[in-house]
Amino acid sequence: MTSRQAGKRLSSVAKDQKIRSARRGRTGKRKEPLPPKERGQLIRLVICGGIFVLFVGAKLALPAKMESFNARLSELLSSNMDVQAVFSAVGRGFSGDTDNAAEEVYQAVFHPEEARETAAALPMPQETPALDMLREYENTAPIGETQPEEQPAEAQTAEEQAPQAEISTLAYVLYSDKNLPEDVSMEQAILDFDYCTPVCGVLSSSFGYREHPLEGEERFHYGVDLAADTGTAVSCFADGTVTVVGESSSYGKYCIVTHAGGYATLYAHCSRITVASGAKVSRGEKIAEVGETGMATGPHLHFELHQDGVYLNPIYYVAPA
Amino acid sequence: MLLRHNGCVRVSGGFCLVTAWFGLVNGWRLLGIVLGASGVHELGHYLALRLLGASCGRLRLGVLGAVLESDGGRLSYGRELVCVLAGPGANLLCALLLTAAGRGAWEVMTGANLVLCGFNLLPLRPLDGGRALYLAVSWLAGPAAGETAARWAGALTGTLLGTAVVWLMKCTGGSLWLLPTAVAAYFLAVREVFGKQEFL
Repeated sequence: MTSRQAGKRLSSVAKDQKIRSARRGRTGKRKEPLPPKERGQLIRLVICGGIFVLFVGAKLALPAKMESFNARLSELLSSNMDVQAVFSAVGRGFSGDTDNAAEEVYQAVFHPEEARETAAALPMPQETPALDMLREYENTAPIGETQPEEQPAEAQTAEEQAPQAEISTLAYVLYSDKNLPEDVSMEQAILDFDYCTPVCGVLSSSFGYREHPLEGEERFHYGVDLAADTGTAVSCFADGTVTVVGESSSYGKYCIVTHAGGYATLYAHCSRITVASGAKVSRGEKIAEVGETGMATGPHLHFELHQDGVYLNPIYYVAPA
Repeated sequence: MLLRHNGCVRVSGGFCLVTAWFGLVNGWRLLGIVLGASGVHELGHYLALRLLGASCGRLRLGVLGAVLESDGGRLSYGRELVCVLAGPGANLLCALLLTAAGRGAWEVMTGANLVLCGFNLLPLRPLDGGRALYLAVSWLAGPAAGETAARWAGALTGTLLGTAVVWLMKCTGGSLWLLPTAVAAYFLAVREVFGKQEFL
């Protein structure tokens, strides 16, 4: 009996020892260095976990700071160079369609349409710029004085126009809670050349702030939209030279025609551009076809009028259907 | 992290991230065009390798683009150089064909091919330019000189490329999808300076 009990004790002690040694063995193994691959994965996991904990901690401890960080990050993520326009400019430079490919690449990288629209959509300081603009208007001479004497039949006289331009800008500044983007003028300039409406279409969106049809937020619309069927001929606004034929993610297929007096017109979202860069075009000549390329919700012509880089309201010079 | 697909294509997590990011920011059509140009590039390498009698291994897709593994080491310097330059050459040929056939209608595709061709000719390994520089100098002055030249050029190009991309992101106030490229460029520059000789 005793010997049996002793035997049992002995066997149980041996079992305990086995378990202990097994445990030791396992713990011993754990202390061995991990293979490099597993160690790398472990380090990554720790870093990712650390970043996660850090951000959750920061959000809990400094909610306001994280909010502004979030806003900054979304702004960074949304502003982007126009890669499509870069490729387009490089491609056209290669095929000899354009002489200033480098300039166009620079434009696409540093001044894409999206970036400018985002900048315009940002909330602006409330009062000061509007007051500055009003002061500026007091100081500037009426535009009629600088214009040549000869006017086209359809344009009004300078005397009538100057006060009207001031009124339109004043109305914009006073009756809207928005300030005009820097490169926009609400003045009705007097064009000293003949012009025509590029497409006989319905005005679907006018110049000024509007809710962006695709992005949803309020942005400045730098031209007028004339809705017409795909394939409708786009006539050139006035005599001039085609300076850019390109494609960008926002404008789609577009072209720019330079006219006399520093004026230029842009025709965007076309299905086809029928002229080549450098071509001389005359008023009313077909230069493109209406389409819905780029950021568009339906077939229309996006028409812009620039004077020395300033965006003018084209509505004074077109007659929508 | 590397994922395996059919054993012949290895897609890294970085590649998936950059591709998806590029597609979301710049549109899927443009992503398709860039991937198409990359396909043309790799096809150029593949055809040259097969024509010159080398076999192709795995295709690795990483942050800096696709890398076609091969036993090109069996080829002579001259032949390997041809294989390396066949990728950018295919892009150039494609750009020429698109210009000739499209008369300016496919300028985005032409531009994508040209940009890819130019980017790959940067003398930074594993880009084709770096490998081509190594091969050309090795051919003329021996492998040690080739390695030294490739290292110096790679370190310099990697640093300049990384800095240029960071500057570009700063100037454009975004374009964050370029960030992995900047990190990769700096990493490759460091690897050229401190890496072991047989890292490639």
